Amino acid sequence: MSASASAPDITLSSFFDNWELFRTSTLAGTVAGALLGWLGVYVVLRRMVFLSAALSQAAGLGVALAFFAQIHWGLTGLLASPTLGAAGATLLTTLLLMGGGARGVRRDALLGMAWLLGSAGTLAIGTRIAQEVQDIQSILFGSAVAVLDEDFHQVLALAGVLAALHLWWRRGFLAASFDPEGARVRGLPVFGLDLTLLATMAIAISLCTRVLGALPVFAFSVLPAMAAVRMSPNVNVALGISAVFGAASGFGGYVLAYRYELPVGASQTLLAAALVLVASMVRRLLARVFR
Amino acid sequence: MTLLAAEALQIGYNGRAALPPIDFRVEAGQMWALIGRNGSGKTTLLRTLLGLLPRVGGRLDRGGTRIGYVPQRLEMDLSVPMRSIDLVRGGQDTGYDFLNPLAPFRARAALQRALEDTGAAAFAGRQFATLSEGQKQRVLLARAISMDPALLVLDEPTSAMDAAAEATAFELISTLMTRRNLGVIVVAHHLAVLARRATHLVYLDADCKLVLSGPSEIVAHDPTFVAHYGDLFHGMAIA
Repeated sequence: MSASASAPDITLSSFFDNWELFRTSTLAGTVAGALLGWLGVYVVLRRMVFLSAALSQAAGLGVALAFFAQIHWGLTGLLASPTLGAAGATLLTTLLLMGGGARGVRRDALLGMAWLLGSAGTLAIGTRIAQEVQDIQSILFGSAVAVLDEDFHQVLALAGVLAALHLWWRRGFLAASFDPEGARVRGLPVFGLDLTLLATMAIAISLCTRVLGALPVFAFSVLPAMAAVRMSPNVNVALGISAVFGAASGFGGYVLAYRYELPVGASQTLLAAALVLVASMVRRLLARVFR
Repeated sequence: MTLLAAEALQIGYNGRAALPPIDFRVEAGQMWALIGRNGSGKTTLLRTLLGLLPRVGGRLDRGGTRIGYVPQRLEMDLSVPMRSIDLVRGGQDTGYDFLNPLAPFRARAALQRALEDTGAAAFAGRQFATLSEGQKQRVLLARAISMDPALLVLDEPTSAMDAAAEATAFELISTLMTRRNLGVIVVAHHLAVLARRATHLVYLDADCKLVLSGPSEIVAHDPTFVAHYGDLFHGMAIA
C-alpha cells in the first residue's frame, strides 16, 4: 500500500477511523483467505501446491486465445470473450488433471505440464496479439489494495456457496482425497467427488486471483493449511484452523500493509508465512510438554 | 450364504487375460487365501474382486455384499494428520451416506463395537502414524468392520510384522470371522501362519498359466503347489 505524502500519521486507529475506505478490500481479503485456507488443506495434503500457479497460467492462455480469435478470426461476443476464455481454459486444465490422474500420471507432473503449456502458449500467441498482451494481466490479476464492491460481492457469494457445499459433502471429499480405493470399494462416487472438489478449487482460485491478484491467492491456498496441518490432530480440525488462519492473514495482512506501508499482497503472504513458523514452534513446544 | 461368486472369471489388464479362468465361491465362515509368487496375479485378482479393476471375462457376482477392505499399510499416507478413531470413522460411509449429516451419529455404536472387537479402543485417540505395526493393523481392521461388512478382504495384512505379531493378527482375524460370521479373503506371502487358518486356497501361477482353487487340503496337495511351497499341510489339521 502506498503511503500518501499528505497523511499526517499512519496508525492502527487511523486505519479504523477510515474503515469505510478500506472495508471492501479488507473484507475481500478476509473472506478469500478463509475460503482458500479451507480448500488449501486439500491442496497441501494432496501435494498440489502449484495448482493456483498452473491455473493462472492456463487462464492466461485462455484470454490470449480469446484475443487471438477477436483479431485474426473476427469473432465477437461470447465466442471471443476473454473472461469465458479464461474460464474455459481453467475448466480444461481441471479436466486434464482429473483425466491424467485417473490414468496414473502423477498430479505434480500434470500441474507442471499445465503451467508450462499455459506459459509457452501465452508467450507464443502474445507475439500475434502484441497490443492486447497488457490486457491479459489486467483481466487475470486483480489487486488486493483496491477491490470493487461488485467483486467483493462475487467473492462473498462464491464463498457462501462453496462453504455450504464443502460442509455438506465434507465426508465425501475427505474419503475421495485420502482413501480413494477404500471409498470406491464402499461404493462412494469417487470420480464425481474428485471432479467436484477440483472444480470448486479451480473456481475459487480463478475468481480470487482476478479480484486479489496471484500472490495472496497462492499464499492463502498453501500457507494457512501448512500451519494448520502442523498443529491439528486430524483433517477436520485442520480445515477449521486453516480457514481461521487464512482469514487472519487476509485481514491482518491488510492492516499491517497500511500500518507499515507495505504492498498488501506481500504483507498478507508474509503474515501467513509467519503463522507457519508460529505453528511449528507451538507444535515443538507441545511435543516437549507432552513427551 | 454366498457372499461372492466367480465363474470362469478372467483377470488381466487392457482386455488381455493374465491367467486361465478362475472359479470359486466364498461363503460366510470361510477364509480364502490368495497365494502365489510375486507377479503371480494375486493383486490383480484382489483388485478385480473389489471392483477396482474391470474383469476381462467371465462372471463376478458380489450380490450386494458389503465388503470391508484392509489395504496394504504402505498405501496409507502417514503425512495426513489423523487419530485412529478418525481413520475408523472415515471407513463407515458407504454409497451416498456422506450426504446424510446424521449418519455418523447413527453409526456411533458400530464404531465403538469395531474398536472394542479389534482391541483398538485403547489407542483410539492416538495419532495413527505413531502406532506400532500391530496396533496399526488393529485400527485398519476396525475401520474395515466398522460398516458391518459381510465379507472382509485383506491385502497382505501382516507384511510388516514379525512372526509373533503375524500370529496374533491372524488370531484376531479368525476371532472376528467367527464372532461376526464373516467371509474372509486374504492375500498373503507367508503361509506358515495362514496355513493353519485358511479353509480355502486360490493358488495363482502366471508363469505356468495355472490357477488352483478349492478347499485347502485339496489345493495344498496338488503337485504344482507342493513343488513350490513344499508339503506345507502334511499332517496339519486344516481349520
